[in-house]
Amino acid sequence: MSIVGDLALEAETVTPHVEAASERAKLPRRVWVGAAIVGAYVLVAIFAPLLAPYDPLAQAPLMSLANPSRAHLLGTDELGRDVFSRLIDATRIDLSVGMLGALLPAIVGTVLGAIGGYFGGWRDSMIMRVADVVQAFPTYILIIALVFVLGQGIGSILVAFTLLAWVAYARLIRGEILRIRELDYVQAARAAGLPSRRILSRHVLPNVIGQTLVYLPSDIVLATLGLAALSFLGLGIPLPTAEWGAMIAAGQPFIRDQWWLSTVPGLVVVGFGLGLSLIGEGVEEWTQL
Amino acid sequence: MGRFRFVLKRLLLTIPLLLGIVLLVFLVLKMTPGDPARQIVGLRASQAQLDQVRAQLGLNDPVVTQYVRYVGRLLHGDLGYSYKSLQPVSSSIAERLPVTLWLLGFGAALTMLISIPCAIISALRPNKAVDHVVRGLGLVGLTMPSFWVGIVLILLIALPTGWFPAGGFGDTPQEHLRSIVLPSITLAISIAPFQIRSLRASLISVRGSDYVATGRAMGLTESRLMRRFVLRNASPPTISILALNTGFLLFGAVVIETTFALPGIGQGIVLAARGRDLPAIQGYTLLFAVLVVAVYLLADIVTALLDPRVEIQA
Repeated sequence: MSIVGDLALEAETVTPHVEAASERAKLPRRVWVGAAIVGAYVLVAIFAPLLAPYDPLAQAPLMSLANPSRAHLLGTDELGRDVFSRLIDATRIDLSVGMLGALLPAIVGTVLGAIGGYFGGWRDSMIMRVADVVQAFPTYILIIALVFVLGQGIGSILVAFTLLAWVAYARLIRGEILRIRELDYVQAARAAGLPSRRILSRHVLPNVIGQTLVYLPSDIVLATLGLAALSFLGLGIPLPTAEWGAMIAAGQPFIRDQWWLSTVPGLVVVGFGLGLSLIGEGVEEWTQL
Repeated sequence: MGRFRFVLKRLLLTIPLLLGIVLLVFLVLKMTPGDPARQIVGLRASQAQLDQVRAQLGLNDPVVTQYVRYVGRLLHGDLGYSYKSLQPVSSSIAERLPVTLWLLGFGAALTMLISIPCAIISALRPNKAVDHVVRGLGLVGLTMPSFWVGIVLILLIALPTGWFPAGGFGDTPQEHLRSIVLPSITLAISIAPFQIRSLRASLISVRGSDYVATGRAMGLTESRLMRRFVLRNASPPTISILALNTGFLLFGAVVIETTFALPGIGQGIVLAARGRDLPAIQGYTLLFAVLVVAVYLLADIVTALLDPRVEIQA
């Protein structure tokens, strides 16, 4: 009984989407351009060990601060490490922290927002009061304090991002759920006796999750820039791991003669950010059509 | 009368918020691993010396007592002593704050100087060539790390021309002024894209409203409409948005002060974190949080003064 009711409800919730999709304009071309750029970065990250010509951590003191050459495409840093290999190796840490740093808060925020919005009552007010206090803080300053407490490293940076960045998603999803909760199909599901958890996960969340996805690309940009900034300040990924922001910081003292040490990693960051922004902007425009 | 009550209510509401912030900072930093007393006396000190310092710092008391004492000390402007310099944290803040205020002041002014004209030309012809250029540049601006922009400015402007120093704050007011130019430009470049985006959106929505159409029908010129009606009604949201971006602005100051070796509070918190200086990082975190609360408060009050509709929400 409950399964049949479930199927009927799903059919009802899915059809309007299919119709709308066929009427909709195609995805703007820049979404594909952005996807190609991001895809290239992801491939580099996956195959980094195969692509890097040298060990990114191998020091060669006699070869320090070498100019770009055929052997070292981007020269070497002050410890004689191959800059090109470090740049490729850094893709792994920057991309994974950037993506997880956006995804984890989105998941936590969506779940908390859904619980608050759907159940209301004390759960809702507790979640929203915590959200108020967190939001009153300058996020990245608190991240510095949290990383100070938790110790440097990927784990604590991700925990700090998640603890502080879930709020926006929670508010967004909560608002959407408050709107959708009273719609007929949800009422029908409730009348059919489906358990709350099933209504929430099968019928309500799929209809509001799109809102979250629209913000994900720009949040990945923010998380990647946040990680790079923390590492630039010497508070992010501990040395000697290759990371874009840390590489920019390491190159700054040599800006006069070896200007590429700082500028090239920055261009790599901008490229990744632009790819994601093109996807984000394009999708946002597409959903508003 | 209504507005006065709104401001008063808003002021009173900040008190519990401030207490919550102090509690959060206190608790978070209480969880920091490591013994503060051990950090002061060093690894070679005897157990007796350690116990003495622990007692002096009041670390043996219950946490609630410590919190109450902490709030009491804060009310007297006492932020404790830095583990590194052994100076009061409040005096290092007092030394560093003016530098940051210079940077934030010039940076915010420059941000407005860039974003208002850009948003206007963009909003006057939405989806035309100029608009696309402004939005494209904004998109690039959003993805550039501010510290990298700073280094590029040093490379392209400071080093070849020698007009501006590549770092430091100098000693005289003229030197201060020269030192603050490139950092302010860097700050403006990193904040302006956010500002342009929201100002453009609110200008477009105000231009579409009925009273603007009425004004146009009455024969007012576009430039007069813009100046007298559109900008004025689009400015309250812009102020709120700049206020909401305070967190970004302050973090921008942290990063940019580190890039340009400016001795402000941003550099202060970074040095405190690198040196694992607990009282200093506690003090700076509180200071930043209080700055944000103060800016929100100020923005709400200014908006209330500019926009008579605000009191309805209060």
